[in-house]
Amino acid sequence: MKILDIAFKDMLRSFRSGFAIIMMFGLPLLITGLFYLAFGGIINGDNDQLAPTKVQVVNLDQTQGVAAGNSLVTFLQSQELTKLIAVTVSPDEASARQAVDSQQAGVAVIIPANFSNTIMDSATGAATAVTLYQDPTLRLGPQIVRELIGHFLDHYNGSRIAGGVLAAQAGKYGVTLDNTASQVAGLEYSQWAQTQGAQPNQLLDLQAPASQSANDKPLTSLIGSVMAGMMLFFVFYTGADTAETIVKEEEEGTLARLFTTPTSRPLILAGKFVSVVITLLIQVVTLVVASALLFGINWGAPLPVGFMTVGTVVLAAGFGLLLISFVKTTRQSGPVIGGALAITGMLGGLMTTGFNNIPSFFATINLLTPQGWVLKGWTSTLGGGGVGDIIGPWLVSIVLGLALFGVATLIFRRRFA
Amino acid sequence: MLQVVTQPQVPGKAANHNGPIAIRVEGLGKNFDKIQAVQDVSFEVEEGQIVSLLGPNGAGKTTTLSMLACLLRPDSGDAWIMDYSIKTEAAAVKQAIGVVPQEIALYSDLSAKENLQFWGKMYGLRGPKLTGRVEEILELVGLTERQKGPVAKFSGGMKRRLNIGVALLHRPQVLYMDEPTVGIDPQSRRNILDSVKKLNREGMTVLYTTHYMEEAQELSNRIIIMDQGKVIVQGTHQELVKIVGEQDRINLTVSQVVPKEIAERWHALEGVNRVSLNEDNSLTLLVSDSNLILPNLFEVATGLGARITSVDIQEPNLEAVFLHLTGRGLRDS
Repeated sequence: MKILDIAFKDMLRSFRSGFAIIMMFGLPLLITGLFYLAFGGIINGDNDQLAPTKVQVVNLDQTQGVAAGNSLVTFLQSQELTKLIAVTVSPDEASARQAVDSQQAGVAVIIPANFSNTIMDSATGAATAVTLYQDPTLRLGPQIVRELIGHFLDHYNGSRIAGGVLAAQAGKYGVTLDNTASQVAGLEYSQWAQTQGAQPNQLLDLQAPASQSANDKPLTSLIGSVMAGMMLFFVFYTGADTAETIVKEEEEGTLARLFTTPTSRPLILAGKFVSVVITLLIQVVTLVVASALLFGINWGAPLPVGFMTVGTVVLAAGFGLLLISFVKTTRQSGPVIGGALAITGMLGGLMTTGFNNIPSFFATINLLTPQGWVLKGWTSTLGGGGVGDIIGPWLVSIVLGLALFGVATLIFRRRFA
Repeated sequence: MLQVVTQPQVPGKAANHNGPIAIRVEGLGKNFDKIQAVQDVSFEVEEGQIVSLLGPNGAGKTTTLSMLACLLRPDSGDAWIMDYSIKTEAAAVKQAIGVVPQEIALYSDLSAKENLQFWGKMYGLRGPKLTGRVEEILELVGLTERQKGPVAKFSGGMKRRLNIGVALLHRPQVLYMDEPTVGIDPQSRRNILDSVKKLNREGMTVLYTTHYMEEAQELSNRIIIMDQGKVIVQGTHQELVKIVGEQDRINLTVSQVVPKEIAERWHALEGVNRVSLNEDNSLTLLVSDSNLILPNLFEVATGLGARITSVDIQEPNLEAVFLHLTGRGLRDS
């Protein structure tokens, strides 16, 4: 009973500290929230994509018949591209530029009057001069539009070659095609090719592994990874910070006073250990639930999540107690906790969870730290892994946590003998 | 009742007593590395007494108290609190004692009531008994109105009172108070001294450490003077001052005369036991009765054409005892 009295007293003190609350819950959610806002804004459910870029299109190409300008406008207005760009046809170049200047649109696409002729003129090979007028503060949206138009123009380059080849082949059979005829042939080929391109390529079968994760959406997946890293960093911090109450009470004289009461020293230390464990448990559960509600993160099935929660708490408590067992004063504890957790956290991969292009050997280095093992387990649950997938990291977390806990206990018992 | 340990030294022998013994200390010793913090300390405290451990900083008072509170394990000797050994029956000793540490040992971010509730639980109090006792202590230390306020916002005196209140929660038979008046204002100090007397009147045995001679003199039934880890003397106040003899000390300042000349004339007077010339040219006389000798001192001075400009008469006190036994003043150590 006295164990719980000591634990609840410590927890009462912890949870009354605004600084502790911010470090436990505020910062991990805040940092993840910043990533969330930076990469997707306040979005929910299926809408977790970039907002479509507003595009003003001016088509000055008045070529009769098969006109490349019309084809480009049709291409940009196609249903498939509505998630990327929102196209408005503008009557003239000035109003399109004005729309960009006033930030009503991100990009203005100006198709020149001689667009069809220029694009198919294999004789001159003149450059097609589609003008992109863009908002200088935007990067991603104009880049998408540029890529799309480049894709479109690549088709026409192919068509121009096709027209040239057709004219050459016809010449071999004594049929002379004038320039206009070969251009029309090329344009019609182009339209036919684009129609074919819309169909699935029968010679190419793209496959992806079936995923059990609900975090299939790129943004949710990214935020889940970031949140896991932040949660683990601050959980390990809380483990050490809560364990620091042993040193703090030693300085305040309350630990010595506790030792004068009819309460055994092992029981007093056990009470403090229990407070560390319960505090961490509350922190992990709160962060998992809060991040699921705020950011739509699916942490995985309840059983593996439960396993990893316990593993994280045990390992963070053991690591925190071990760190504090080496500390003599609270003046030492700041640099020791900060330094040790920053280094092991970085090596454990907690700061790089959102990056995909990390060298593979870094995954091995991760596992040299306690944080790396729990991160591996949480990454697995986020990816839809079951108990079988996380059992290895979980076992390491539990065994390592208990071992660190045991060493810390020995050090403390010797210190307060 | 008087026991002088250093002159001649009789280590380990405690005073005779009349009532039941609350604290019995025999040959207690403690070393920190090569420093002997406490050496062969022995004394007894009867139930219902206030006994002071008096000595300068570093005398070994707090180390002795820490061993008696089972905080430190002695390297030699043993002590029994209400017949429980501090070595083998620590849990029973801790239940019998209340400890008021020198520094404020409270949780500053908890309220007065929360502090008392927590410490009460550590002494095994639960339920209505705990609730009732917490209310009594709040009343006793005058903090009922401020019970919900965080201790961090209390004045120094309020913290001191609560610090004492915590030690009384479980109605201990013996109360240790380790320099409880250090660094507080005179009014709070007076309150604490009055509280100690009140607790003692209610039957509590108190072991009180201090380096203030006046506190030991006012509070104590018996005084144990410590220096450099040893008990140098113990007894009642009256017994201790007899060590320096039935002599008054007179400090005089004279002018218009060579001090050495008047010193020789005064020393020749009957009743003047000793005359010493101080560095500031004042003179200190040890006399058997200052009232009888003073007119003669003035007469001699007038005869020499000298003028006495100041007279300070001191009856024997603990400061003089310490000076007599160690050659140093209590506050100089």
